Amino acid sequence: MTARGQLVFLLISFAVVTPLAAQQTIEQRVQQLEKRLDDLSRQVTEVRQQIDQLKSGGQPPAAVQPAEDLTKIETVLPTAATSEQTPTQAPPPNALTDVQTINNVQTPGASKVFNPDISVIGNFLGKAGQVNPYEFGRADMRPTFQLDEAEVAFQAFVDPYAKANFFLSLTPQGIDVEEGYANFVTLPYDLTAKVGKMKAYFGKDNTWHTHVRPWVDQPLVIHNFFGEEGLNDVGVSVSKEFSNPWNIFLEGTGEVFRGDVANVFERRSQNDLFYNAHLKGFRDISENSNIELGTSYARGALAGASNGANQFAGVDVTYRWKPLMQGLYKSFIGRLELIGNDRPDVNRKLRGFYASADRQIAQRWFTGLRIDASDRAVAGDSGARAFTDRGVAATLTFWPSEFSQLRGELRRVHYGDVSRAVNELLFQLQFAIGAHGAHAF
Amino acid sequence: MKRILLLLSVASLLICGNLFAAAKIKVVSATEDPASITREIGGDRVEVTAIGKGYQDPHFIEPKPSFLLLLKNADLLEVVGLELEIGWLPPLLDQSRNNDIRPGQKGYLDLSLGVEILDRPSGTINRSMGDVHPLGNPHYWLNPANAVRMAIEITNKLTELRPADGPFFAQRLQNFKVRMNDANKRWVAEMAPFRGAKIVTYHPSWPNFARHFGLEIAGTVEPKPGIPPSPSHTLEIINLIKQQHIKVIVMEPYFDRKTPDFIGERTGAKVVVLYPSVAGKAGLDDYFRLFDYDLSELIKALK
Repeated sequence: MTARGQLVFLLISFAVVTPLAAQQTIEQRVQQLEKRLDDLSRQVTEVRQQIDQLKSGGQPPAAVQPAEDLTKIETVLPTAATSEQTPTQAPPPNALTDVQTINNVQTPGASKVFNPDISVIGNFLGKAGQVNPYEFGRADMRPTFQLDEAEVAFQAFVDPYAKANFFLSLTPQGIDVEEGYANFVTLPYDLTAKVGKMKAYFGKDNTWHTHVRPWVDQPLVIHNFFGEEGLNDVGVSVSKEFSNPWNIFLEGTGEVFRGDVANVFERRSQNDLFYNAHLKGFRDISENSNIELGTSYARGALAGASNGANQFAGVDVTYRWKPLMQGLYKSFIGRLELIGNDRPDVNRKLRGFYASADRQIAQRWFTGLRIDASDRAVAGDSGARAFTDRGVAATLTFWPSEFSQLRGELRRVHYGDVSRAVNELLFQLQFAIGAHGAHAF
Repeated sequence: MKRILLLLSVASLLICGNLFAAAKIKVVSATEDPASITREIGGDRVEVTAIGKGYQDPHFIEPKPSFLLLLKNADLLEVVGLELEIGWLPPLLDQSRNNDIRPGQKGYLDLSLGVEILDRPSGTINRSMGDVHPLGNPHYWLNPANAVRMAIEITNKLTELRPADGPFFAQRLQNFKVRMNDANKRWVAEMAPFRGAKIVTYHPSWPNFARHFGLEIAGTVEPKPGIPPSPSHTLEIINLIKQQHIKVIVMEPYFDRKTPDFIGERTGAKVVVLYPSVAGKAGLDDYFRLFDYDLSELIKALK
C-alpha cells in the first residue's frame, strides 16, 4: 500500500470509527438514563408504598399481602373501655387473622351532654306591590322588610318517660311561648300524650310552624277562622293508634284546652273549655306515593259573645309522590283542606278551603300554586255578616342548603267586604342554626 | 265429655306450642345493609324489614306513618348510627309507641359502636363545612371487615333477645364469616392490580370501600358533603382529574348524572354508578352480590 493509500485508509477508518464511537456514547448515555429512570421509578414506588403504609397505620399494602382473614374477627370489645385509650382508627394488624372489632365509645362533652338541643330559625320577610290594609288591619300592614320571627327551640328528654319541647317565638311584638309541652312517649295501650301549651291538632296547616309551611303567608281560611297564631292553647292532648287489618296507620287524638284563643274562643266560666278531636288515616299507595286523610272537630265558647259556642269541622287530604331513587330531585305534594265554622253571631255558616300543589323541579328548586277561598265574619250595626275572600298564590322556592331557604310568593287576594283585589309579591328568607329536631310527618 | 276436653286441651297445647316455636324476632333495620346481614345470621328465626331502600339516599328518608306500624311491633331496631338517621328516625321513634326499641333499651342496636370508623372530624366543625357527620363517616358498612363486625354485634343482640337460639345464630355467624372471608380474598385479589389508583366520588360514601381496596379518593363532585355541585368546584375537579390522570368518577344511583357526565366528557374519565347498599338494584340481594357487582363495574372502568 502506498503512502497515499495508507492515508486514505486512515481517513476512512477515522470517518467510520468516530460516528460509531459517538453512537456508542449515546447508547451508553441512554442506558444510563434508563437505569436512572428505573431507579427513580423504583424509589417512587417505594415512597408510595411507605406513604400507603403510613396511611394504613404501618402495614404494607395488601397487594403484597394476603387479604385479611375475616374469620378471625372475634368479639366486640366491652364498651366500658375508656375512649382515650381507644383508637378511632384501628391500625390493620400484622396478620389479618388477628383483626378484632373496635370499641368506639362516643364521648360527648361530659357536663354538656344533658343540655337540650337548641336551635334558632330566623324568618325574614319582605313585601312589594299594592298597599294591603285588609290582611292585618291598617295599623299593622306588612312592612317592606322585617325580621318577622325568630323561633328558638329547646328539645330534650326529661326522663325515661317524657320529652320536653319548647318553641319560643321572638317577634317585633315581644317574646311568646309558641309551644311548650311535655310529650309522653312511653305510655301503654298505644297511647301518647302531650301536656302544656301547644297547637291544636286540627287539620294540617294549624299544626305547622312557620318554617314548615310551604307558603310565605297563611291560607285565607286559616287566617280568617283561627287568626295569625292559629288554634293554640294550654291543655292536654292524648293520641291513640288503632291497629287494623288494612295496613292503615289510624290515629285518633282527643284534646282539651283551657279555652282561650284570641278572637276564636273565650273562657267565660270555669267550664268553658275548648275541645278538639282529630282522626287521621295514612296509607302508602305505592312505594313512591301515599295519601293521608284527616277529619277534625273543635268546639269552645265563642269569643266576644255572652253565650254561644264556636264550632269548627274540617277535612284534610294530602297526597304525596316522591320516587325513592330520584327523591332528591323530584317530588309532588297536593293538599286540600276544607273547614266549616258554625257560630251564632253571624248570619250564616262560614266555609273556607285551600287547595295547593307543590312540585320539586330540581334538587334545590320548588314551585307551588295555591287557590283558596274563605268566608269572613265582619261586624256590622245589625250583627256580623259573612263575606267571602278569594285568593290565588304562586310560589318559587330555592334551598341553598338544608338549613336555609329563599322563597318568593306572588299572590292576589280579593277581599269580599270591600270588593277590592290586592296584588302583592312576598319574599321570605329562612335560616336555621343549631340542632332542630325533625317534625312529625 | 272428658275425652273431648282432653282432646281440646291437647290441640290447644299443640297450637300454642307451634305458635311459640314459629315466633320470629321482628327486626326493623334503618337500611338494607344491616337487614341483609341480619338475615344471614337470623335465618328463618328472624323477620327483617328495612326502612330505607337500597336505592334511596339514607340521609333523606321520609318519616312516614306507615313506618310507625313496623316500629310499633318490632322486637329489635338496628341503626347505622353516627347520626346517619338523625333527620328522620327520632320523630318515628317518638311516635312508635314501642319503648323497647328506644336508645338504651334491649331492643335497640347501634351498629356503629363496634366497627371501625373513618373521617372523625377533629377541631371545630360547623355547617360551613357542609353536612358533616360530627361522629365520623357513617358509610362504614362498605368495608367487608366491618360487615363481619356488624354480624358479630347482630349475633350478640339476637342471642340476648333469644338465648335459646344462640347456638343457631353462632353457627350461622361462623358460616357468614367463612363465606365473607372467601369472598374477601377474591375481591382483594381482583382489586390488587389497581391498588393506589385514584378516583373521584360524588359524595363521601366511599372512604371505607376505598381504604379496604387500596384506592385513593382524590376529590368529590360535591364541593362539601351534601352541597350540590357548583360550577367553580366542577372546574376544579376537571382540572384535578386532568392533572392526576384519574380514570374513574364513582357515583351513587340516587344522584343526578348531569355533573359527573359533564366532568367525564371534559376529561375522559368514566362515570361508574356503584351501589352503596344491598338491594340498590334488582339482583343485588345480599352483601356478597353487592360487592361482586360494584367491584366488577369498578374494575371494568379502571382497566
